[in-house]
Amino acid sequence: MGKQIDLLQGTLDMLILKAVSLGPLHGYGVLLRIQQISGQQLEIQQGSLYPALYRLEHQGWIASEWGESDNNRKAKFYSLTATGRRQLHSETEKWNRMASLIASILRTTPEEI
Amino acid sequence: MNLTRFRSWLKWIAKGQRLESEMEAEVRFHLESYAADLVRQGLSQQEAMRRARIEFGGIESHKDAMRASVGVRWWGELGSDMRHGLRLLRKNTGFAAVAILTLALGVGANTAIFSIVNAVLLRSLPFPEPDRLVKIFFNNPGTGVHGVLYSVPELDDLRNRAGVFEYVTGTERGSVNLTGGSRPERLEMLVSSPNYFSMLGATPQIGRLFGPPDFTPGFAPSVVISDSLWRRNFAAHRNVLGQTIRLDNDPYTIVGVLPPDFRNPGRTNSHDIEVWLASGFTAASDPEPTRGARAFPSAMGRLKPGMTLQQAQARLTAMAVEIRHDFPTDYPSENKWMIEIQPLQEALVGNIRPMLLVLQAAVILLVFIVSLNIANLLLARASGWQQEMAVRSAMGASRGRIARQMLTESLLLSLMGGAAGVALAVAMLKFMPRFIPSSIPRLNEVSVDWPVLAFALLISLLTGLVFGLAPAIHSTRADLSVATREGGRGSGYGVKTDRLRNSLAVAEMAIAAVLMIGAGLLLRTFRDLLKENPGFNPTQVVTARVNLPFPSDPSEDPYRTIVKQSAFYRELGHQLSAIPGVELAGFVSNLPAAEVGFTFALGIEDRPSNSGDDLRAKDFLVSPDYFKVMQAPLVRGRFFTEADEDGKPRVAIIDESTARRYWPDRDPLGRRLRMGTGAWMTIVGIVKDIKQDGLDVDAVPHIYVSIYQEFDPAEGYVFRDFSVALRTSLATSALEPQIRHQVQSVDPTLPVYDVASMNELLDRSLASRRFSAQLVGGFAGVALLVASIGIYGVLAYMVGQRSREIGLRMALGASRTDILKLIVTRGVVLSIIGIIAGVIFSVSTASMMASQLYGVRPHDPVVFLAVPLLLFVIAVLASYIPAWRATKVDPMLALREA
Repeated sequence: MGKQIDLLQGTLDMLILKAVSLGPLHGYGVLLRIQQISGQQLEIQQGSLYPALYRLEHQGWIASEWGESDNNRKAKFYSLTATGRRQLHSETEKWNRMASLIASILRTTPEEI
Repeated sequence: MNLTRFRSWLKWIAKGQRLESEMEAEVRFHLESYAADLVRQGLSQQEAMRRARIEFGGIESHKDAMRASVGVRWWGELGSDMRHGLRLLRKNTGFAAVAILTLALGVGANTAIFSIVNAVLLRSLPFPEPDRLVKIFFNNPGTGVHGVLYSVPELDDLRNRAGVFEYVTGTERGSVNLTGGSRPERLEMLVSSPNYFSMLGATPQIGRLFGPPDFTPGFAPSVVISDSLWRRNFAAHRNVLGQTIRLDNDPYTIVGVLPPDFRNPGRTNSHDIEVWLASGFTAASDPEPTRGARAFPSAMGRLKPGMTLQQAQARLTAMAVEIRHDFPTDYPSENKWMIEIQPLQEALVGNIRPMLLVLQAAVILLVFIVSLNIANLLLARASGWQQEMAVRSAMGASRGRIARQMLTESLLLSLMGGAAGVALAVAMLKFMPRFIPSSIPRLNEVSVDWPVLAFALLISLLTGLVFGLAPAIHSTRADLSVATREGGRGSGYGVKTDRLRNSLAVAEMAIAAVLMIGAGLLLRTFRDLLKENPGFNPTQVVTARVNLPFPSDPSEDPYRTIVKQSAFYRELGHQLSAIPGVELAGFVSNLPAAEVGFTFALGIEDRPSNSGDDLRAKDFLVSPDYFKVMQAPLVRGRFFTEADEDGKPRVAIIDESTARRYWPDRDPLGRRLRMGTGAWMTIVGIVKDIKQDGLDVDAVPHIYVSIYQEFDPAEGYVFRDFSVALRTSLATSALEPQIRHQVQSVDPTLPVYDVASMNELLDRSLASRRFSAQLVGGFAGVALLVASIGIYGVLAYMVGQRSREIGLRMALGASRTDILKLIVTRGVVLSIIGIIAGVIFSVSTASMMASQLYGVRPHDPVVFLAVPLLLFVIAVLASYIPAWRATKVDPMLALREA
């Protein structure tokens, strides 16, 4: 693993929703997928993933089911629910607006004021 | 919390154990999967697992966060708090036993009393739409008379002219002789208009209730019987329908049986009503249905749907004014005759409400004092934990968490005490009916039902909060640095905790004072009543009740004329006096303190304001020997003689207060008076006042009339119920069969019942006062005990905490007396503050008890002096024990420990 970036506060939920939107995953799978998509650049404390998963399930955005893993072991798989999909959509939109706003603010040069 | 989250939360709560293991499995899967990947990268199995654990972070804290995510963490903590609490209680069984026992007593007493309050005062009457049922009163406010009788035309006005009632029914209670069985039986009876059952919305168990065929001018030929009579006399056979029974010699056909839970909404007498008859009250045997013929005692009605009490009352008030205007001769204007309605439930329980509320207030005070005491015990114990608490909060336990833990233990305690209390209440209610005066209405409905259980739970939780909160809050106030520094020497929480413990003890003392003063007032009332002179000598008097039948069919009436009745009384008097051991036999229409006589308008000759209702008197028929049997002193004149019979000049005897009231400056002997519009009677004698209406009722004018002379206050009114009074040295039980034998040797159809000594009757008339006085007295006793434990506890704790100081003082030359004085003074000061607070509270609230007192003022100086004094003495004694123990402190030992 190369140099890693600490996860921004409040973004873990969004990343989990994104990860499971691509197909059902167990907890470890969610971790691997996020690291894979981010090119191993994000530092996530492994244990903190689970309270987040439980919270999202509690809110009804993801659903869980026990199934069989690749190595034929019982594992709990999480998948996105319909409300979760809507949530991901609106979170993504919000994030994009916020990101472009912050970016445009940071691009500002003295002449533009 | 929205629905999804609530469902998810419920799932966790419901399947807590399984989800807990799933959580465990999920974490393990993660660790093992990661470790497997690490092994693939070349690490050893052991090293891979170690790395996996490290990178995962604190497993337990993550799990905790997972639980918190779904909001079930506090649930799990509750479980562990409860286990912790139970462990503590087991460890300290003495404390737990005292706490649970006193709580059980407090909650049990509350639950038992509340179940009575609930059944009698709160629960609606067991009829459909009970809010629409009202009792109708006819009053003469102009002359201050409440509850005058009414006449048939007035009943018709209510039905047809008022327009506010769906039903109006007149009722009259009485008793009848049931003959034809193995032996004559006397039954309580209710005569009503035929719409009585329709008004109440009652349905029969079998057969039918009154209907169209029963709308007759006089008595309908049908009778409806109670479930109890059906079971007792007819073995609950269905073939009872259509059978004929003889009531006062008249034949009636049984048409229906009421369900077991049906009761007439009236006062509970010694017996429940068992036969219901219907009448139009206008037959030949009834008084002429004129306005003035007011012979009916009681009326009930069901308001039309949607009609409020206020609307109905307004209409009735207006109608009464109209009627007064239309019939000025029947309604003298100075009477201001008025119709008033009252919800039936209120009318039924109104006079019992103050007593029940006093009892409920007393038990609430009791449970409050109990919970203050437990708070004090808990506080003492909690200070022993101060170090533990300090360590815990140093380790990061939040203050809320610690407080919650202590509160959980308290609530656990209160629930256990509450459960024991409910069990106790159920047991109390099992044997309480023997002590509850039967004059309380609706007693048969008393039971521990959901509202009562909810009340018990509420009381338990509230007490748990009261005694749990104080130590819980204080434990969180522990000063960390001080507590840890002071180490093993549990030296209390200092001044603040002391102050709290002191105020708890003061409050206990104050409540005990309030309860004791209340109990003192009630007991004093009761004791004074026991010493009250009834106006006669009740010892060695045995009484029995007998009814002469009063058939509607004159040909069935063996006692049709006063001559025949007189012959019967003479014959029976002769037979009864012949019983060996009986000195003298007398008869009276109503025994003192046992039966409520009727009140009639008293007419006095030569008295200007002779308009009827403003002069009222109760009248009693007595045989010549009655006053001698009762040993009631004659003031002046003479008693009745055998010569005061039909055809001779009519005579009357009055009591002293009647004489004083109506002939204050003249001699009443030789003057004439009359009952209603009856014949004039000449006063021949004056007797001392007899407490005819009960020891606790002030005298109304009493007029005594010879039982041998026709009594006609209103046309057709006849006395047929009478009591036998015997002066004898024999016991009641020995006499009962002999009285029955003699009565039935004269007339085999006459039942003899309620055989009791006169002292028993007087005693019974005080049952309700005895009940409340003894109950409140008992509660006050418990309160006193608990409060003195409170004072003792505070001082004993103080002695324990200050043993070093005491040792030091002694080492410096303080004598044992000084030490004794030091501790006792503390206890005395605390209790004096408490007593003063209690007395002040009592002074300001005692007037609320006035209705429960008789002959004792609410601020009775004796009670208000004796109770504080007694409390003070008890407090000194409670303080003396710990003080005495303080003097046993060995100064050397105490100093060495420091």
